Amino acid sequence: MSRMTLQRILRRNPYLFTLGLLLVLLAINWMLQPNLFETRVLNGNFRTFVPLMILAVGQTFVVIGGGIDLSVGAILSMVTAILVTNLAPDTGPGGFLLIVGLGCLAGMAAGALNGFAVAILRLQPIVTTYATSFIFSGLALWVLPRPGGTVPKLLSQFYRRETPLGLPLGIYIALALVLAWWLLRSTRYGRYLFAVGGQPDAAYATGVPVNWIRFSTYVLSGLIAALAGVALSLGTSSGDPRIGDSFTLDSVVAVVLGGTRLSGGQGGVFGSILGVIVLGIIRNIISFANVPNWWQTLVDALIIVVALAAPGLVRLLRRNR
Amino acid sequence: MQISLSAQHVTKRYGGVTALSDGTLAVASGEVVALVGANGSGKSTLSKIITGVVTPDGGELILDGQPVTFAHPHAARARGITAVYQELSLIPDMSIAENIWLTHEPLHFGLPVNRRATLDRTRGLLDQFAGVIPVLDPETPVKDLTPDAKQIVEILKTFSLDPRFIILDEATASLDSQQVNRLFDLIEQWKRDGRAIVFVSHRMEEVFRIADRIVVMRNGQTVGDLVHAGASEAAVVALMTGESADADAALAAHRDDTHVNGTGLAAVRLQVRTLTSQTLRDVSFDVHDGELLGLGGLRGQGQEDILLAVFGAIRHGGAIEISGRPVQWKHPKDAVDAGVAYVPGDRNTQGLLAIRSILENLQLPSWAKYGFPLRTSAATRDAGQAATDLSIVMAGLEAPVNSLSGGNAQKVVIGKWLLRNPRILLLNDPTKGVDVGAKAEIYRLLGELRQAGTAIVFYSSDDAELLGLCDRVLVLHDGVIRAELVRGDSLTRSNLIAASVGASHGSIQ
Repeated sequence: MSRMTLQRILRRNPYLFTLGLLLVLLAINWMLQPNLFETRVLNGNFRTFVPLMILAVGQTFVVIGGGIDLSVGAILSMVTAILVTNLAPDTGPGGFLLIVGLGCLAGMAAGALNGFAVAILRLQPIVTTYATSFIFSGLALWVLPRPGGTVPKLLSQFYRRETPLGLPLGIYIALALVLAWWLLRSTRYGRYLFAVGGQPDAAYATGVPVNWIRFSTYVLSGLIAALAGVALSLGTSSGDPRIGDSFTLDSVVAVVLGGTRLSGGQGGVFGSILGVIVLGIIRNIISFANVPNWWQTLVDALIIVVALAAPGLVRLLRRNR
Repeated sequence: MQISLSAQHVTKRYGGVTALSDGTLAVASGEVVALVGANGSGKSTLSKIITGVVTPDGGELILDGQPVTFAHPHAARARGITAVYQELSLIPDMSIAENIWLTHEPLHFGLPVNRRATLDRTRGLLDQFAGVIPVLDPETPVKDLTPDAKQIVEILKTFSLDPRFIILDEATASLDSQQVNRLFDLIEQWKRDGRAIVFVSHRMEEVFRIADRIVVMRNGQTVGDLVHAGASEAAVVALMTGESADADAALAAHRDDTHVNGTGLAAVRLQVRTLTSQTLRDVSFDVHDGELLGLGGLRGQGQEDILLAVFGAIRHGGAIEISGRPVQWKHPKDAVDAGVAYVPGDRNTQGLLAIRSILENLQLPSWAKYGFPLRTSAATRDAGQAATDLSIVMAGLEAPVNSLSGGNAQKVVIGKWLLRNPRILLLNDPTKGVDVGAKAEIYRLLGELRQAGTAIVFYSSDDAELLGLCDRVLVLHDGVIRAELVRGDSLTRSNLIAASVGASHGSIQ
């Protein structure tokens, strides 16, 4: 294979590097934890990945569109709080859907606030969403002052135990997310998303509704954070108003690992999901290798810094050659 | 296909500067109208108003007999009005096909994009330029294309909308002659289809080949509307340049010819040999003490790179000598320390700290000489003296610099370097967007600096300034020096314009 083709394949599929990393990490994980590939263990692992997977999908939208959403963790907490305070162990499917609908509306409203501030008022996305995250965290504490609450037993058992065709439920959710992304990517909206993130002025001059697209990415991200909250509540059977705090940084790291460019206009959901799995495996390795778990935060931070610095480093290397 | 569109007495102001004071243009089906004018005459502003990119302050747009207003480009496009822009409207990371069909992608049953149809139709469009560009895969990202291919994609993108009205704004600037021929064949076809075309260009030869009528603009006004058959190139150039005797006289008054040409008398201050950069190829010249060397030509032909290279701000090849000593600067600071000053092209982003005071802006490069802690009273006294010398009209030294008019703000940009007594002054279009009074002040200042022996390199997009002020003018085209015009000999308006549009050395008298 010539160097040009290799470069081209890498550029079209920037997550290939992460895929390679994943294989290496899986091998290490397997050595430390020989029962890793048993259905029960796999299912448990995937179940812990799902909320972040969903969250990272929303983050991917926003980042491709040229922004960033640092309030996804807080929105997740808020929605979780709303769910567990309104659900009871015996809530039926109808009631459950109604309350999930309520949670989704809350997530979209939060996203709309972000979208309005960023797309219409033209505020800086980083600062804006960091600030609004405190509003959503505050609301979560107001709704659910301390960890607790319940979810319907039957649903939570189904969610935790079901393994259709012997594969973890989480794999199906991941596939559904990738499929949904693939469908959206092939609509006009998908093209607009990449155009707005790639070169907003050119997109505007071409007639793309730039503000509306930016606004919509935050609303979508809010809605998706709400869905991540549903998955998290079902997985843990209870709620915690601070549970989302650590998710925000992880969602950005997963997006970066997945090859989505932080400055926008390039990337995809498949890579982000790989990124989530890589993060999860690193976490596994850290816990099985008996090292303190603050290493996880250090690794997260290093990944972001290296990803941000990479273009500059490449330029420096070229210059000194 | 039928269309008639006219702009009548359209005006546009940006802050204190009038970009367009009376833009008038009428085009109908099957017609090619050339829109010509010198740099900054208002052609681009008028084009952008017609396509809805810029909102006019006054005047009227009339489409098919009805007055219209376009709030944004989409509204104009919905009526079949489009433009091929000079600064490209392509998204670098997206493919050729994605770019061409952005906002009007062929769809499957109204929702998903029909990828195969998109690719097929893109190939069909690219075929129109078959033979004059290499065969292109419609899925190639636009950022991997050469400038001419990008320009062609831009043209095809516009054409894919099946527009009734097309503005080609300097669309031929990066095309070679075969590609231009093919484009002209297409334009003939568009005429037969009943489309209306506006062709904005600096290149006289092309204008006379393709246009049915020629509309001439000068200083934001439409000053002529000529039928091709009856117009001579000389008549058009005369309208473009205006031969505005009073303006030239005003400029000449600021020249002090008792000083002769500097050339040959004074020592060589700056020597540049075989300078190369991304845009420059093999540029060599000398500047003497007290000489005002002009850089001319169309915008973006490498003039800025020359200034930036001498200022140590971009990477370049070739050799630069100051007073006979070779220098190799890694950072503008080295250049500043050696007595070089640079007045950048965009004073708002590169020249000034907008919200800081006039005092701080004037002293920014000079604080080092006021010790530690800073002797602010001395700094204030020096800055006050400079402001008086420059006759800056201001509320006080403590006023923020963005409270000044364009002309006074520009004087601050120049003034901050004068406080350091530079030996070499590099100016990047310093009178752009500056009112007449302040222009005169800047000319007077340049005259004084020349008297004091400062070597000045001066890029201007205003041909009248180059003609009126400079001892010599180097005309750049495509990164090479096309002509060296000397005052009292070859420095004439017709030579300047001829060299600007890339005429060969031979045709310049």
